Amino acid sequence: MTLAIETIELTHRYKKLIALDRLNLQVPQGCIYGFIGPNGAGKTTTLRLLAGLQTPTSGEIRLMGERLSSRLAQRFVGYMPDFFGVYDDLRVWEYLDFFARCYGLRGARLRQVVDELLELVDLSDKRDAFVQTLSRGMQQRLCLAHALVHDPPILLLDEPASGLDPRARVELRELLRTLRDMGKTIMLSSHILSELAEVCDAIGIIDHGRMLISGPLAEVQQQLATGSRVRMRIARESDVVLALTLLQHQPLVQTVSTVPADPRSLIVDFTQPIGEEQCATFLAELVSAGVAISEFSARSENLEEFFLRLTMANTG
Amino acid sequence: MNAQLRIPQLNPILIREARTRMRGARPYLILTIFLLVLILTTFGIYQYMVSQARSGTVVLSSHIGQALFKGLAFTEMFFIVLVAPILTSSAISSERERLTYDMLLATPLRPGQLLSGKLIGALSYLFLLIVASIPVFSIVLIFGGVSLRTLVLTVILLGGAALFFGTIGLFSSALIGRTVPAVILSYAIVLLICGVPLIIASIWPQFSTPPGQSPPPWLLYLNPFSAIVAVTTVVPMMPQPDLPFFSVSDPFMVIPFLSQFSTGIVRYAPEGPLLMPVYRATLLGFGLGTFILLWISSHLALPTRKWQPRWSDLGFVVVIGAIALVMWVTVEWWWIVPPVEPWLMPVDAPPIAPPMVP
Repeated sequence: MTLAIETIELTHRYKKLIALDRLNLQVPQGCIYGFIGPNGAGKTTTLRLLAGLQTPTSGEIRLMGERLSSRLAQRFVGYMPDFFGVYDDLRVWEYLDFFARCYGLRGARLRQVVDELLELVDLSDKRDAFVQTLSRGMQQRLCLAHALVHDPPILLLDEPASGLDPRARVELRELLRTLRDMGKTIMLSSHILSELAEVCDAIGIIDHGRMLISGPLAEVQQQLATGSRVRMRIARESDVVLALTLLQHQPLVQTVSTVPADPRSLIVDFTQPIGEEQCATFLAELVSAGVAISEFSARSENLEEFFLRLTMANTG
Repeated sequence: MNAQLRIPQLNPILIREARTRMRGARPYLILTIFLLVLILTTFGIYQYMVSQARSGTVVLSSHIGQALFKGLAFTEMFFIVLVAPILTSSAISSERERLTYDMLLATPLRPGQLLSGKLIGALSYLFLLIVASIPVFSIVLIFGGVSLRTLVLTVILLGGAALFFGTIGLFSSALIGRTVPAVILSYAIVLLICGVPLIIASIWPQFSTPPGQSPPPWLLYLNPFSAIVAVTTVVPMMPQPDLPFFSVSDPFMVIPFLSQFSTGIVRYAPEGPLLMPVYRATLLGFGLGTFILLWISSHLALPTRKWQPRWSDLGFVVVIGAIALVMWVTVEWWWIVPPVEPWLMPVDAPPIAPPMVP
């Protein structure tokens, strides 16, 4: 499998501060890669290095198998920075026309690219509107379109979903999937982890400049799965004490706690992941003991919890 | 995927500037204010000359033409010095503040193209102002008195000043990266170039040894106001050099306000008043300064390896070297050695009368 992005022992320092510490990253072609990390973890620095906007202190970057140079980055990378800047006084088509000209396009090809991109990001009807009059979501899509004017194989998107309302996020997600289907490799950083879980094929978690874990989403989730949790609601309040007693005597149960806002709801944490059959047996035992249960749901740890646990462990 | 990217031929920054420069009310407001100031200046100078004539001074038509031309050229220079830095001092910093700088740097656009596009875009607006002022200037033609040489020199000087002071703003913007501090730095440099030499020139006679000497011309070499006064002042032929120099063509007389900016421009020699052509050094200095500042700015605008040598440096070295060579070859043309002022010249001892022989 050809790698679209590869970094080898990538290190970057800002004077004494180590922003990236021997980062090894591998992103396969045609994949949406989510880059997660708290503020100051090194996400933006990594993306800027990949876009050729900064020079690494040491280490190597390869894009589509070739060693990075500024010309190569310009050719292979479409870059969208974390805070989208606009030229207030430009119209939508002028904005794309400007960036297309920056990439050396002209004449009929330039007009064709502008039209196609406006269609792709669904802004054809806003063609003559001023950029500043667009909604945040539209501006974000326009900025994404600017990164596509030279048809790059790799897209680097820094926090593309920040500040977007739920509808705009859905639209952006759909657009990213479309771009992946077009063969683009997309690397995006985000704080909205649920967004990444829904759209990414692979993720990497970075903290203090170090990659904590990286790989396909399912693999990462499996690697990080150290326990499971069940939430249940007891139908009668008088049964809560009995349920608590029974649960605390189960060998696989680690902790049982009540939800403060709803004393009849219990959260059960297990010492290891439990399967569906184990869940069914467990439920049957409670019911046979006379505990009336109105709701029962097993759930795995989500991406947000993984992230918090990993970064907290790293800090500690 | 594009196999090869082309470096843009026609500067995209320039195209964008051309599209957006005249959008909104602000450019038209500045243009209107500028023209109003010029019209008021014309009217004021004309009224002053009329009042001079009414008070008994001989005022010829050419005197009015010269006074109007001098006043308008000075006002235009003042406007350029004031506006050029502010038009360019947001060039790089506004891109950084609008967070579009990274987006531009990620394209094949070269820093030189970015800088030249911004500079030409800003200066094109200044040139528009200059062109728009032509009808006001043409009033001078009614009165006459201005030679073609003076007109050409004035236009070259105004253009050179627009370029130099525009580059100062560009340099500040590339150096600091935030607009407000860049504007402050630009005006600090402008004050250093325009204000400080004039202040020193005005107090020079008090502190010179012996006291009362005129300031040395080199002090005014980079001052655009001294240069414009030197170009537009007409020194009359003096039939009687011993008499004090008073005429409506005297820079100290025509527009009283300008005397603050013309210190050291006119010297008095035994053969009559002499004009110090400081504008020659001003033009060469502006040319040299413009390219040096552009060179530094082209490195400051780079995202990485700012001071690593580049091919474009070779071009800058050639141009700056050529200007330096011209300055070296023509040093006798632009380096002014002022005449010794008459009152400092040793006075010949009166002949000793021979003893009376009875």
